[in-house]
Amino acid sequence: MFIIYIQFTFAAMTALIPHKILNNTFLLSAERCIFWEEKKILIVSDLHLGKTGHFRKSGIAIPQAVFKEDMQCFVTQLQTFKPDQLIIIGDMFHSESNKEHDFFLKWRKDFASLPIHLVKGNHDILQERWYSLAEITIHKCELAIDNFIFVHDINDCTITNDCYVFSGHIHPSITVKGLAKQALRFPCFHFSKQHAVLPAFSKFTGTHGIEPKRGDSVYALVKQTIVAL
Amino acid sequence: MKLQSTKGYSIINNWLAAKGHHPFLFQEQTWQEIIDYKSGLVNAPTGCGKTFSVFLGGVINFINQHPDDYKTKTKSGLQLIWITPLRALAKDIGRAMEEVIMELGMNWRVGIRNGDTTISDRQKQKRQMPEVLIITPESLHLLLAQKNYPEVFASLKILAVDEWHELLGSKRGVQVELAISRIIGANKITNQNNINQPISIWGISATIGNLEQAKDVLLASINNNKPKGKIIKAVINKNIKIESIIPDEIEKYPWAGHLGLKLVEKVIPIINNNKTTLIFINTRGMTERWYQAILNVAPELSGAIALHHGSVEQDLRLWVEDNLHTGKLKAVVCTASLDLGVDFRPVDTVIQVGSPKGVARFLQRAGRSGHQPDATSKIYFLPTHSLELVEAAALKDAISQTFIESREPMLLCFDVLIQYLCTIAVSDGFVPSEIFTEIKNTWCFSAITEEEWQQLLFFLTQGGAALQQYDEYKKIEVINGRYHITNRSIAMRHRMHIGTIVSDAMLKVKFLSGGYIGVIEEWFISRLQPGDVFTLAGRNLEYVMIKDMTALVKKSNSKKSIVPSWMGGRMPLSANLGIMLRKTFDKAFEMNSRVLTKKEKLEQPELSVLKPLFDLQESLSHIPKENELLIEHIETKDGFHLFVYPFEGRLVHEAMAAILAHRISLITPITFSFAMNDYGFELLSDQPIPVDDSNVYELFSAENLLADIQRSVNSVEMAKRKFRDIAVIGGLIFQGAPGEYVKTKHLQNSASLLFNVFNEYDSGNILLRQAYQEVLDQQMEEVRLRNMLQRIQNGNIVIKYPGQLTPFCFPLKVDSLRENLSSEKLEDRIKKMQSQLE
Repeated sequence: MFIIYIQFTFAAMTALIPHKILNNTFLLSAERCIFWEEKKILIVSDLHLGKTGHFRKSGIAIPQAVFKEDMQCFVTQLQTFKPDQLIIIGDMFHSESNKEHDFFLKWRKDFASLPIHLVKGNHDILQERWYSLAEITIHKCELAIDNFIFVHDINDCTITNDCYVFSGHIHPSITVKGLAKQALRFPCFHFSKQHAVLPAFSKFTGTHGIEPKRGDSVYALVKQTIVAL
Repeated sequence: MKLQSTKGYSIINNWLAAKGHHPFLFQEQTWQEIIDYKSGLVNAPTGCGKTFSVFLGGVINFINQHPDDYKTKTKSGLQLIWITPLRALAKDIGRAMEEVIMELGMNWRVGIRNGDTTISDRQKQKRQMPEVLIITPESLHLLLAQKNYPEVFASLKILAVDEWHELLGSKRGVQVELAISRIIGANKITNQNNINQPISIWGISATIGNLEQAKDVLLASINNNKPKGKIIKAVINKNIKIESIIPDEIEKYPWAGHLGLKLVEKVIPIINNNKTTLIFINTRGMTERWYQAILNVAPELSGAIALHHGSVEQDLRLWVEDNLHTGKLKAVVCTASLDLGVDFRPVDTVIQVGSPKGVARFLQRAGRSGHQPDATSKIYFLPTHSLELVEAAALKDAISQTFIESREPMLLCFDVLIQYLCTIAVSDGFVPSEIFTEIKNTWCFSAITEEEWQQLLFFLTQGGAALQQYDEYKKIEVINGRYHITNRSIAMRHRMHIGTIVSDAMLKVKFLSGGYIGVIEEWFISRLQPGDVFTLAGRNLEYVMIKDMTALVKKSNSKKSIVPSWMGGRMPLSANLGIMLRKTFDKAFEMNSRVLTKKEKLEQPELSVLKPLFDLQESLSHIPKENELLIEHIETKDGFHLFVYPFEGRLVHEAMAAILAHRISLITPITFSFAMNDYGFELLSDQPIPVDDSNVYELFSAENLLADIQRSVNSVEMAKRKFRDIAVIGGLIFQGAPGEYVKTKHLQNSASLLFNVFNEYDSGNILLRQAYQEVLDQQMEEVRLRNMLQRIQNGNIVIKYPGQLTPFCFPLKVDSLRENLSSEKLEDRIKKMQSQLE
């Protein structure tokens, strides 16, 4: 077995990177979300709220701090960008209701004026009345704003012509290879010609390795920074 | 009570005599101990009546207690628990016991309990336990997960653990320790009127280096961790004939893995001249190649040879085993999959291909042949590179001195303890103070602190961190001071996951037209493209697709195929064999300096045939003596090499290479790549490596070892790998069978994600700490590393500057080349290197 000590060097390291699509500016945040400047919309995907609670309820002792930190991070993003609207591209809640959802409801009151749009994902199995209680607008399949489409799983997208699609679901990650078989994996944003995939917002999620094509843009999330590859 | 004067003894003795047998001395000694209600350990090889030593003891005891109605008495309750590590053994042992019971005219029943036992049989056993229960450690824990389990053990007289040497040193051994602690504990309460007749615990073990300790570990619960109880040795001299298969021509530049197959023609006459031969090969991938190679040179053997390894479909394996029993097969190419298990009487010869890595394992494999008590075991050693012949010589010496490895019992396996606590919480619940006393008395947990215990209980009842808002953690609940699992689905999930064997994600391999071939690691299949051809169970298969967690394939006539390499199974050289190896080099050095007599040549065929290689090594560099460490500085066009030969096995070398690299980098900024094998390791750099007489003892110092390990080795990555097993055993990950439990889909989780989460949010977690400790103990073999450094400090370090590659370093050099090249290219390139050097 060969092991060589190497250091990764990245071209640029910042917490925010602008990315232009169809003359709109999207700010990519190292905290796994996107701010759409023209519309003042914050876009996140795969929050999996209540996942730790679901595990803990079933006797699997995941540290509860994971959930707390995800929520804190979420709030920080809202305070930083002060969006007019919030779009969640699916998998907002991990599973059936548990007490962590109550915590979310309490939090919702503090941001009562913020409209929240949820494009349903495969994990969003809560009952309709729960969402209306939380004042979340549900979009069963997809949400279209101008020429932009938001859908949880790209395979479920029905509109194709001249639009740009944002999706989540796969929790994309990119493997960065160094010399001598060293390889590290990071969550990432993946932009291709007509389609972008967001990383999972929750830190308590696995990832799926992507293989970008020529001409795609990939932004890796390395600790608190975002790196264009 | 004197054994010979009892009724039971005379009945058994008469029964044996009627068959023309006599009890062996060790059997009588064991019977005497058993009727005196003592515990102990029987040390006997397989196939010489070890089963009867303990089993008949129980029968004698029963007859003595029921002299008038021992024949007619039924429903006596559980008398004997027989723990066996292998399901396959249970049937044969059960049959042998039933035969005895029938011939004695008794009314005992023998039950088998393992993963294969049907639900209806389990229900029957629940209503009325058989007198003898043959069980695996996992199933024994499942019994403890049943309501009212103490009643089952109320009538128990003997608890026997077969093949204890196999269980000791593994987490299954810890399971046995815990089960014993609970059975003894429960029995004290249910059986209060019988304090004079405590349960006897008997281990049955092959010879290992730490027999005394093996006994103490097993009996810890009844002896309050004090050494007590007898070891009864079967004095049966088993003859072992060891012969090396010596290549016609000795390569002075050996390299691993290529000589072996060249010697395949020498194997054919051995197969033909013997009744049945087992050919042991270290890896599953190589068994596939050997099977093909034998058929290529001896097509007439087709149908008479077979393949057996862990990935071959079970039906096929059973077919092979059946045909071994009946002697229909001439030879079977196998891996460790046939190390244990039932005896195959027709087997009279064994061939070991490549290093067995340890003395015990070599002996075990030799013992697979000539199984009758007075028969001779015959084993051939076939080297995969010429230096391995030294290992053969070392093995012979080690066996003649019975210098056999120890099995180190595991300590503080919190994952197993967590599982166990949940098990007894599922059934009757437990009171912490009682259980703490019991586990404190086991070997594994004798050093557990009050604080660790509280942390465990906290983890199970509160889910780790302090009580928080919005938390619904639920596993063990405290009801009136008793700890219970009341949630039915949690209890059910727990029962399904009792056990400590964690397997890789496996896919079944099936023909498109139907019919299973075997199983294969998921990661191997995931690298294949449809149309790729691979070999499994001796067949060339074309990969078509994956469907429903099954890899679908069709037959292929392609000549070229990929042989899967299976993860794991790369055992390091044992410490004992390392010591013997160093001694053997000492002898080689001495013999090399003079002309050998004919007699010596005959006695030491391996060492004398290697003379040309040793001559070259000595003239270019040096042959290290027992108390020497050889270091070679060699410069080639690849760069500056440093070769070091501690002969301590690849794991220790891997750690030492990293530590040495770290220590050198403190002297001067420098980058290295490493390679290692069981004999030594290599550091390669693009600049001269500053190791010389002035600093070498410092570089190999045992001071600051722990700190240097932490700084140099990627222990986080290693701990992550260890954590997977721990998380599964500790109940954090459920590995259901594919397609099963759709309900738990939202509970799926990967070990590496969990590891990261715990590392970040709960770094003091007891299971996480265990992962790091296991890395130190098992991956680094820290104790062995420390001993090695001590030995080097007390000996001489010899630094040489050979002008070219030496025979010793050549295998290492090849291993490092292998990383990037396909095998054909590698072969060409090595031939070129060999011709340049010679």
